[in-house]
Amino acid sequence: MKPEVVVVGSGMSGLAAGVALAEAGVGVLVLAKGAGSLQLAPGTIDLLGYAGERVTDPLSAIAKLADRDPRHPYALLGAEAVADAARWLSSRVAEGPLAPYRYVGSPEQNMLLPTALGVLRPSALVPETMAAADLRHADRIVVVGFRGMKDFYPSLIAENLMRATGGAVSVRATQIDPPSGLDGEPGTFRLARSLDRPGEAAALAARLAAVVQDDEVLALPAVLSIGDPHGVWETLQRVIGRPVCEIPTLPPSVPGLRLFDTLRALLRRAGGRLVTGSHVVGTKGSGDRVEAVRVHVSGGERSYPTRWVVLATGGVASGGLTLDPDWRMWETALGLDVAGVPAPEELRFSSRYLDPHPLSRAGIAADRDLRPLDADGARRWENVLVVGAALAGAEPWREKSGEGIALASGHRAAQLILNAERRVQETVPEGVAEPIA
Amino acid sequence: MTQLQADLLVIGGGATGAGVAWDACLRGYRTILVDRSDLADGTSGRFHGLLHSGGRYVVKDPRAATECIQENMILRRVAAATIEDTGGLFVSTPADDLSYSDEFLQGCLDTGVPVEEISTAEVLRREPTVNPAIRRAFAVPDASIDAWKLLHALARGITDHGGRVLTYREVTALHRDGDAVTGATLRDTRTGEETEVDAGFTINASGAWAGRISAMAGVGDVTIVPGRGIMIAMNHRLVNTVVNRCTMPADGDILVPIRTVSVIGTTDEPADDPDELTVAQDEVDQMLHAGDQLVPGLRNSRALRVWAGVRPLFRDARSQSSDRDITRAHTLLDHRDRDGVERFITITGGKLTTFRLMAQEAVDAMCRHLGDSQPCLTREQVLPGSESGEYYTVRARLRAREADPGNDPLVCECEMIPRGRLEREMREHATVNLDDIRRALRLGMGPCQGGFCTYRATGILHEVDHLDAATADEALVAFLEERWKGSWPILYGDQLRQARLDDWIYQGLLDVEHLPDWSAT
Amino acid sequence: MSVAGHDHDDVLGDLMRGSLDHCVKCTICEQYCPVSAATPLFPGPKYAGPQSERFRTDEESVDRSVDYCSGCGICTQVCPQGVHIAEINSRARAKLKHDTGIPLRDRIITRSEILGKLGTPVAPLANASLRNRPLRVLGERALGIHRDAPVPAFAGRTFRSWAKHHVAAVPTSDRVVFFYGCGTDYYEPRLGEMAVEILEHNGFAVDTPKQGCCGLPLQSSGLFEDARRYVRRLAHNLAPAVRGGATIVAVSTSCSLMLKREAIEILGLEDDAELRLVSGRVRDICEFLVDLHDEGRLRTDFRPVDARVAYHAPCQQQGHGIGKPALDLFALIERLHVDEMDARCCGIAGTYGLKREKYEIAMAVGEPLFKQIRAVSPGLVVCDSETCRWQIEKASGVPSVHPVEILHRAYGLSNVPDGSAINGNS
Repeated sequence: MKPEVVVVGSGMSGLAAGVALAEAGVGVLVLAKGAGSLQLAPGTIDLLGYAGERVTDPLSAIAKLADRDPRHPYALLGAEAVADAARWLSSRVAEGPLAPYRYVGSPEQNMLLPTALGVLRPSALVPETMAAADLRHADRIVVVGFRGMKDFYPSLIAENLMRATGGAVSVRATQIDPPSGLDGEPGTFRLARSLDRPGEAAALAARLAAVVQDDEVLALPAVLSIGDPHGVWETLQRVIGRPVCEIPTLPPSVPGLRLFDTLRALLRRAGGRLVTGSHVVGTKGSGDRVEAVRVHVSGGERSYPTRWVVLATGGVASGGLTLDPDWRMWETALGLDVAGVPAPEELRFSSRYLDPHPLSRAGIAADRDLRPLDADGARRWENVLVVGAALAGAEPWREKSGEGIALASGHRAAQLILNAERRVQETVPEGVAEPIA
Repeated sequence: MTQLQADLLVIGGGATGAGVAWDACLRGYRTILVDRSDLADGTSGRFHGLLHSGGRYVVKDPRAATECIQENMILRRVAAATIEDTGGLFVSTPADDLSYSDEFLQGCLDTGVPVEEISTAEVLRREPTVNPAIRRAFAVPDASIDAWKLLHALARGITDHGGRVLTYREVTALHRDGDAVTGATLRDTRTGEETEVDAGFTINASGAWAGRISAMAGVGDVTIVPGRGIMIAMNHRLVNTVVNRCTMPADGDILVPIRTVSVIGTTDEPADDPDELTVAQDEVDQMLHAGDQLVPGLRNSRALRVWAGVRPLFRDARSQSSDRDITRAHTLLDHRDRDGVERFITITGGKLTTFRLMAQEAVDAMCRHLGDSQPCLTREQVLPGSESGEYYTVRARLRAREADPGNDPLVCECEMIPRGRLEREMREHATVNLDDIRRALRLGMGPCQGGFCTYRATGILHEVDHLDAATADEALVAFLEERWKGSWPILYGDQLRQARLDDWIYQGLLDVEHLPDWSAT
Repeated sequence: MSVAGHDHDDVLGDLMRGSLDHCVKCTICEQYCPVSAATPLFPGPKYAGPQSERFRTDEESVDRSVDYCSGCGICTQVCPQGVHIAEINSRARAKLKHDTGIPLRDRIITRSEILGKLGTPVAPLANASLRNRPLRVLGERALGIHRDAPVPAFAGRTFRSWAKHHVAAVPTSDRVVFFYGCGTDYYEPRLGEMAVEILEHNGFAVDTPKQGCCGLPLQSSGLFEDARRYVRRLAHNLAPAVRGGATIVAVSTSCSLMLKREAIEILGLEDDAELRLVSGRVRDICEFLVDLHDEGRLRTDFRPVDARVAYHAPCQQQGHGIGKPALDLFALIERLHVDEMDARCCGIAGTYGLKREKYEIAMAVGEPLFKQIRAVSPGLVVCDSETCRWQIEKASGVPSVHPVEILHRAYGLSNVPDGSAINGNS
C-alpha cells in the first residue's frame, strides 16, 4: 500500500481530513491505534459555546476570539473555515449511509440543548434527533427515562432545566419500563440495538404515546437506534404525534457512533482505507520531509511510505499527548515538540477542579498552514500537518469548541494538501483541464 | 436543643475512639461516641492500611514491636473480616545496609515477631514485580486492614450494645463542674443544631486534635505534634504481599496491597496544623522514586491518588529528640494525676494496629477512677461481621457479582458496587455527602476516580433521598472537588488521561460548570 | 514498546496485567464486543479484562463468566488506550481452567495435529461419522461438542505428503518458507498446493520443513503448558530457515497471528529466542504479496475473473493490524466484484463455537455477518481463516474460499475453463 496521505488518528479531525482527501481522489490511509474518540462524544457539533459568557452566535464569537487570542487554533483557521467545515460535514452526513438522517442547525446560531444533568449547553449543529429539545423554542417538555437505566436521571434533568430557565420552560419527568426481551440490563447500547429490531420502535411509540401530554416535547435518552436513527425517530414522532428528541448521556455514545460509522463509510466509499490496531511510533525521513510512517504491528514494525502525514492523534484524552512522571509532555506518534507545558517545578493544575488549569492548553504549536512548530518556533516538517485536539491553545471541553476545531482543521488540512499537490501538478502541459476538487 | 445522658462520652471517631466506645459498651457503660466528621475521616482513614507484624519496630522500638504482634494476633481473631491475610516481606534492596538485616532477624526473635528467612528466588516467585536485585528477604505476618470496614464493624458493635454513634457533631465546649469534666456541647456541622451531653466520664481519643480537646477541658499543655506523611495509591495490586524495605524506617519504604490498590508510603514531616493536608510536588516525586526501589517501574505505572495523613505524636515536654524519635507507642494521660482535672482521660499516639490495646488501657483507667472492676472483653469478643473467622479477600466483590449478576447494574464499575447496595447505604446513612458513601463502599475509589459513578450516584441520591436538585447538584460538585484534591498532584500518564476523559464527561458533556447557581465565580 | 523518544519498556508495562493500567473505562471495547452483544452470560471485555483483573490474585479463580469470552481479540484492536484486554481475559481463563479442571472435550478438540493424524487414514469413515446425526447427538452428550457445530471434512491425504514429492517448476534462489498449519495439512491440502504454486509463479522457491501445530486451540481453551510446548517446537522447526534469511509465509491468519504476537504475549514467551526470531519474519500470504506489489515485484498477469464474491476479514486477520491486503490484491483483478462485509465476527472464534454451551452464542454473534451475506447473495465468501470459512459455509450456505483460491484462478494456474464457477477447494 502506497498512500499519498497517511492520517494518524480516526477521530473527528482525522476522519474529516481523510474523507475530504479521499473524495478529492487522493489515496488516503488512516491509521488508528484503536477506535477513535467519536464514540465517546455526544455527537453534537460544538463550534464555540463559551467565551467567558455563553455564546449565541458562534461564528462572530470565533472571529472575535481569533483576534483576541493569537495562540488559539481558531486564530490559525479563521471563522470562515469553521463555517465551511461545519457545512461540509452537514452535507456529508446527509449523503452518508444513515441518510436521510442529518444534522440541523447553523454555524451562526447556537441552540440550547439539555445535558444529561439538565444544564443548558450551547451547540451549533446537532443531529435532527436532538433538535426538538432546543430550549430556546420548547415550552413544555417531558423527560422520559427507562427504569433501571443507570446513565439517565429524568427527575434530576427536569428539575435542573426548570431552574435553568427560571421556570419559563415547564419540564416534568417520568419513567417507563424498558422494552421486554431486552436480555440484560437496560444500558445505552442494548436499548439502541433493541430499537433496531423490527416492530420495536412502533411498540415503544405506543407506550410513549400513553405517557405524553398534548403539547409536550418528548425527550428520551440518546438511544434512538444505531442503524436507522431517522426511521426510528420518524416512527416515534408519527405514532406519538409529538416532537421527539434524544438527550446524549455518558459514554458509550450512540449518536457519536453514528457519526463515526458515517465518516468511516464515506471514507471507504471514496476509496480511502482505515486500519485499526495500528500504532504509529515514528517516521523515516530526511531533512524537512517525512518519507514514511513507522507503525508498530503484531510481530514488529512496518513502514508506510507516503507524501503527506496528517497528525490527528488528539490531545491527552486520546493519548496523542502524554505527560511522563518527570512532568515532561510528549507527542506520542511523531515526537513533535509540545508547547504550553509548565516547567516541572511549576503548577500544572489549580487546586479547585472547576478553575482553569495551566496545563490544559498544552499541545502542538502550528502556523497557519497547520505545520507543526518546534520549540524555537520554526517549522520542523514541510509535509506534516497537525489537526484537531493535538493543537495547542484551546480548552475545548470548557469552551465547547472541540468539534469546531477538529472539523475546521481537518477540512483545512485536506485543502492545504490538495493545493500543494496541484501546484506540483502545475508542471503539467497547458491545455489539460485541472479538475477543481 | 437536645439533651443526652451517658456514662461515657468518647471524643474522636477513629479506631482508638471507636475502640474505646466498643470496650466500654461491652463492660456495660452507656456510651456516646462523637466525631466532627464521618468515622475514620482522621488519621485512621488516611494511613496505608498496614496491620503491623511489628517487624518495622523490632530494632527501633522493641516494646512497640511486641505490642504490635500481640495485637495483630488478637485482631485476626476478633476482626478477621476487616483483614486481608496478605503476609509481609522485609527485603534488603541494593540501597539498604545489609547489616541491618542481621539486627532485624535478631530483633524479631527477641520481640516474638514470627519470622522466616526466604530466598530471593522464592520472593520473585511469589511477587514477580519486586526488585530482582534484592539480596536478602524475610517473611513476617503483616497483613492489610481496611479502616472503614473496621470502623463500621465497631460502630455496629457499639450500637448493638446500646451505645450511640454521632457523626458530624463537633465538640464546641467541654463542661466543667469544679475540677471535673461533666460533659460537652456538640454542634451538628451540617445543620448547626446543638446538643448537650451530660457524661459521667469523658475520654479524649481525638488523635492529632487531642491537644485542642484537652485545652477545652482546661488542660493546656498536651502537645501533639502532627507527623505528616503522604501516601500514594497505585492503580492495582502491584504486589499481593506487604513489602517492606529491610532498613531503619525511611520514606517510602513500604508497599501495602489493600483492596484493589497498592499503597506506597510514607514520609514524616512535623506539621503545624493537622487539618493542613495539601501535598507538595517534591513529596510526590520523592515517594514515586522510593517506590521504584521496591518495585522497579512503579514510577511509570499508574498512580491513582495521593493524600496526607497526620500521625498523632505526643511530645513529652521533657524530651528533645527528633520527631521520628517521638514515641510512636501510645500515651495515656490521666489528667487527674497529671493536671488535677477529674473524669477526663486522653489516650493518644499509637498506630491503628494497637487501637484495641489503647482502648483497653483507657477504659481500664476509667474503671479505676470509678472504682469499677469489669474486665475487658475485647480480646475475645468478635466484632459484628467477623463471626465466621474468615479473612476478607479482595476477590469478594468479584465473587459476589458472579454469584448474582442479575439485573442490578453496577453503578461504580471500578469497585463493583451494584445499585441496590448503593441505595441501601444511602438510605441507612441518611447523608447527602457522597464522600460518606465513598468511605462506606469505596465509591469513586477506582481507576476512574468517580468519572462515571459520580453522575450516577448523584442521580440515584436525588431519587432515593427525595432531594431537591440544588442539593443533589451540590453533592455532585462537592464530590468532584473532593476527588480532585487527591488527584491533581499526581496527574501524569494514564491517570492524566483518565482525568481528561472525566473532564470531557463532566465539563464537556454534562457541563457542570454551568449548573444553575454553580457558575465559577 | 517505545513511544517516539520516550521509552516505556519496563517490567510492569510488559506484563499483560500491567496493561490494565491504561484502561480509562471509556467503554469502547464493550461497544464492539460481539459476544456481550449476543448474550448476557458474558459481562463484556471491560468487565472481564481490566476491571476484574484488579480483583484477581493467585488464589482460586472466582469469575466463571470470563470463560464466555471467545478470544476474538476485537476488544484489543479497538481499545484506544492499548489495554491488552483479550490477552488479560485469556490468562484469566487459563487460570480458571487450571483451578476448575479442563473438560475432556477441551483436551480433544484442541489437539489439531493428533486429530488430523488419527482421522486422515480413515477419512471416509471419520467424515461419515461426523455427518452421522445420531453419532453427533451422542458426541454432544458425551463430550459437549454441539451436534450442529461446523466440523470440517478430512481430506484423506495430507499437504505434507504432496509437498514432500513436489518439485518446483523453476529453480530460483529466492526462497520462502511455507507455514501451512493444521487446517491446510489435514483438511484443505489443495489450498496449500495453490499457495505454493502462486509463490512459485512469482519466482520463489518454497520450502516446507517439518512444522507442527502452533498451539492456538490449546491456548484458547486455557491449556497453556501444552500450547507452549507446541509453539516452541514449531518455532524451533522454523528457526533455521529464518536464520538463513527466509521469510515465513502463512495462509491461516489465526496461526500466523499466534506466531507473530499471541504466543509471546499470552503465553509469556518473551524470552524464547527462537520464537522471537520467527515471529518477526512471519507474513500472511496476502500481506506478503501486497508488499511484493509495493516493491514492483508482484506478477500482475491476472486474467479477469467473472465472479461476485463477498469478503469477510476474520478477527484474527484484523489482529495483524495490516488492513485488508486481500482487497488490494482483488483490486488488480478485472471483472471481479467484491462486496466487503462490514461485520465483526463470524462467531466460531476457533473452537469456541464448537462447544455445546457456546454454539448458540456463536451463531448469534455471527448472525449480522450471515445476514449481510444473504443480502448480497454472492457466489462465494472469501475469508482468510479456515475455521471461519467452515462456520460461514455452514451458517449461510454459501461456499467459502481463501483469497489464494481467487488469485490462483486469476493467475490461470487452476487448469479450469475460464468463466467456470469457483467451487472452493475441490
